[in-house]
Amino acid sequence: MFWEKPVTQLDADRTAPTAAQPTVPAPADQREVLTQRRDARFARVEPKGKRVHTARERAELLLDDGSFVELTPLRTAGPRPDGTPTGSGVVAGWGLVDGRPVVVACHDAAVASGAIGAVMAETIQAAQRFAIDRGYPIVYVNDSGGARVPDGIFALHGCGGIFALNVAAQQRVPQISLILGPCAGAAAYSPALTDWTIMVKGQGQMFLTGPDIVKAATGEDATAEEIGGSQVHTVTSGVSHLEVDSEDEAFDATRLLLSFLPSRKGGRQTVQSAVPANPGAVERLPHAVPEKSSVVFDMNAVLDGVLDNGARLELMPEHAPSILTLFGRLDGRPVGVVANQPAARGGILDSKASVKLARFVEFCGRFDLPVLTFVDVPGFLPGTVEEGRGVITHGAKVLKAYVETTSPKLTVVVRKAFGGAYIAMGSASLGAHVTWAWSGSEIAVMGPGGAVALLNRRELAAADDPDALRTELAARYREDVARPYLAAEAGIVDDVIHPEETRDRMVAALRMLTAGESA
Amino acid sequence: MIEARADIVGNIWKITARVGDQVAKGDTVAVLESMKMEIPVVAPAGGHVSRILVDVNQIVQEGDAVVEIDPTASA
Repeated sequence: MFWEKPVTQLDADRTAPTAAQPTVPAPADQREVLTQRRDARFARVEPKGKRVHTARERAELLLDDGSFVELTPLRTAGPRPDGTPTGSGVVAGWGLVDGRPVVVACHDAAVASGAIGAVMAETIQAAQRFAIDRGYPIVYVNDSGGARVPDGIFALHGCGGIFALNVAAQQRVPQISLILGPCAGAAAYSPALTDWTIMVKGQGQMFLTGPDIVKAATGEDATAEEIGGSQVHTVTSGVSHLEVDSEDEAFDATRLLLSFLPSRKGGRQTVQSAVPANPGAVERLPHAVPEKSSVVFDMNAVLDGVLDNGARLELMPEHAPSILTLFGRLDGRPVGVVANQPAARGGILDSKASVKLARFVEFCGRFDLPVLTFVDVPGFLPGTVEEGRGVITHGAKVLKAYVETTSPKLTVVVRKAFGGAYIAMGSASLGAHVTWAWSGSEIAVMGPGGAVALLNRRELAAADDPDALRTELAARYREDVARPYLAAEAGIVDDVIHPEETRDRMVAALRMLTAGESA
Repeated sequence: MIEARADIVGNIWKITARVGDQVAKGDTVAVLESMKMEIPVVAPAGGHVSRILVDVNQIVQEGDAVVEIDPTASA
């Protein structure tokens, strides 16, 4: 069996049917008992504070209308003192999102603040095993204070079991976590083992422990929002990948995210009809990138001129914004897009941007999503701060992610690609299937200014007019060393193209690289 | 008071705002030179510029305040 049927107190109470009993409809009083049990089980304490939906309503709102089926709905952690069952603490089950099966587990904050006890953990694990066995994505709706203290070591063991299945599921199905209330301890760690985490602003928090225990442990005085609010995690820490304003937006974002993803590793991609790129953006594409390489611009102008003009979902928009990571479509096929964003910190790579980028590429690889990389990178940010943050280790994660990713990898250098950052941004050396450079771009170990200062130090020192010589040498370097034709002649980029050709080139390459998929 | 801060370590290349200027959220108040890029320092909210906190050619670290803005004077 793929999951062991749990033994609950309710199961133990039930009288096993015997062969001697005729299969006739239950007598009215037995129906009454069942109705009462269901009513008691389903009666929810009214949500408090900003919580606008019960756990069951959350499952129903996330899923297609009427599709939710609860797993072990009568399961209970034990009766209340008055004898009414309290439920397991989680509303778990399955349903459909845009017609595709999805497994959900919604913490029930109305039962002991959603604290994870032994029975609740078993119920979540049952849902996880079901999803792993059948190959359906899992959406965890988190709203829990963490491990249930009265359950002691049984609660911890149960939480550990959830984590172990989070890790097992990584190699099987997409996992999405929604943070719809204060999530402490285990309720924060499980999301960190899933692929994408969405927080509702002002309502969801994630932390190891909340304000009271922080105060007791270290003396630090901070609010729940200051310790683990959505601003902390979507801007500063990168623990969460999307901030939304309401529960309804969280469900919409989850459905949109799932629309780009296969149900399981190796599963069918969600290919739709191709949509042309935005015509205005296509027209502007040749001029989207400023000629002067020091001038910043919004890389979205390039993406608009290449990708299908349809739904996109940018993840981690405010964390490490010098790198864009988003899902979109090309030729109707879902793709992961990675791009330098010159408009934010010049489009540099640093520690945080590297971690963000590597994580995204690794995810795309795991679920066979093509990776489209748009490059305009001045380099890895050097200096004491970045070295202290471990930029070498984090940058290496980017290299590893691209090398290990076996999904189609297409890369285009739109303006400049220098040094280690050139290699890191999906270069041919790391296994990109097809690479292009725009005709005006520069690819080199370093930019013209730095190269001339290094290579021509003596001439410059001896020159009557060092500025004029520097300008002349930089221009020569740009033509002789940095222009993309050298890379193309060496076969290190496949071709030098005009901006307006990019979409057609990428579509053709993607069709070629995915041609064997449906056969 | 709010501050327009440097997003990245770099050299103050230009200070485009002057004390007393009205600025809107997102307006460029100074330009940093870093990684051979011209990186704008923008106002996080609207208001009037109350103090310039740096000099041209000064090195600033990520997060350093560059220009002080008085948001109450935005009307």
